[in-house]
Amino acid sequence: MSISPEMLAAYADDQLDGAERAMVEQALAQDPALAQEVATHRALRARLVAHFAPILEEPLPESLTRALKAPPAPQTATVVSIETARARRREREARSPNPEPVTPEPMGKAPARPRWAIGAGIALAACVALAVVIGRPAMVPASNYAAPELAQALDSRLSGEQGGSGPQVLLSFADATGAVCRGFAGSQASGIACHDAHGWRLERRFPGVTAQEGAYRQAGSTDPKLMAAMQDMAVGGALDPAAERAARARGWTAAPPPTSR
Amino acid sequence: MDETDEAVRSIHGPFFHPEGKGSLRIVPDHRETDQAGPDAFESGLLALLPRLRRFAHGLTRDGARADDLCQMTVERALRSRDQWQEGTRMDSWMYRIMRNLWIDEARAATRRGQTFVDEEAGEGVGADGGQEARVALSDIDRAMARLPEEQREAVLLVMVEGWSYKEAAGIIGCPVGTLNSRLVRGRDALLALLGEAA
Repeated sequence: MSISPEMLAAYADDQLDGAERAMVEQALAQDPALAQEVATHRALRARLVAHFAPILEEPLPESLTRALKAPPAPQTATVVSIETARARRREREARSPNPEPVTPEPMGKAPARPRWAIGAGIALAACVALAVVIGRPAMVPASNYAAPELAQALDSRLSGEQGGSGPQVLLSFADATGAVCRGFAGSQASGIACHDAHGWRLERRFPGVTAQEGAYRQAGSTDPKLMAAMQDMAVGGALDPAAERAARARGWTAAPPPTSR
Repeated sequence: MDETDEAVRSIHGPFFHPEGKGSLRIVPDHRETDQAGPDAFESGLLALLPRLRRFAHGLTRDGARADDLCQMTVERALRSRDQWQEGTRMDSWMYRIMRNLWIDEARAATRRGQTFVDEEAGEGVGADGGQEARVALSDIDRAMARLPEEQREAVLLVMVEGWSYKEAAGIIGCPVGTLNSRLVRGRDALLALLGEAA
């Protein structure tokens, strides 16, 4: 029987089980065009997730957190955000002598400065993904597991944490098995490592990112590939800072049964 | 936040506030009776904020409006906290509140004859903001802006926010089959728009 676009989408989004799933899989095996549609659907999904992901990392507006009587966020969790905020402030200051508009913006007119969109994403990505501080050799390429220095960084560092030597951790996420995986970038190598009983198993490797000492540089060609690889592996997007700290507290073992997909 | 504010806001536009954004405050009604620091409800809400902001950005396609929508959602949730039962999922409840608030705002704007013409707004950003701002509105932003509201929310809830079809349908309040078909139409429209843009 023919597979409707709805059913194919549901398959691509892992919404089918049992007989329906088997039926689609049988059809996929016989029709490469259908398989291509599934791949296209998933690629779009990954692209959308990547597009909106930076918002999760942005600092929350104080007006929101104040309403909830939030305790101040720990410094380590806001390092990236502070860098981002600084970068944006410099950007704003360079453009205009007035720091912040205080007049209300009429409806229908976009704010003069986009506060998010890809601009924020770029700014954030530049800070998170590309701020690489030069370090000593990051890993032993012969091993399938992270060498001590990289393992130590993966064990201890929060995503986007700046400073120190060695590889930077870019993002944390759960893969399809629920294992916690982390993307990293160092001078010797970049890649993705997933935590298992033996340590940090290297899942993907990319060339290292060269960097001026203490300086931030623009993206090299490996970064989009690394980002794309993470998007392919991630289930449910990047862990937010709270989830990441929780994962660290668990010793990077898989999360307990999720409260959300 | 009193009823006058609500009235003023509904006259002036979805997220326009007469005192300006900077003075928007949340004063939950239960504050007087609620002692001490964040309770479980507020902590739970706080933990959800990054995801809610992402959803708000997707719905509104504008950072300032997104944060205003978040704020309204938080206010509403604090006022309606009695409706949330401990032990049930707070995230889908919050998503539902945000989604309904946004739909109300969008409908009110339509009644006033205002439309959310993001493409034009986006071009305005480029013209005002110089080169950096010009790249700010990506192909995806432009394509998302052209989807009908019902397709956009379906795409956002499933493909960005990661809800199952059943959960997304529950948040929207429509049958799963309807959600599924809106998702497919929205996806196809996005692919076509992005294909043209490439």
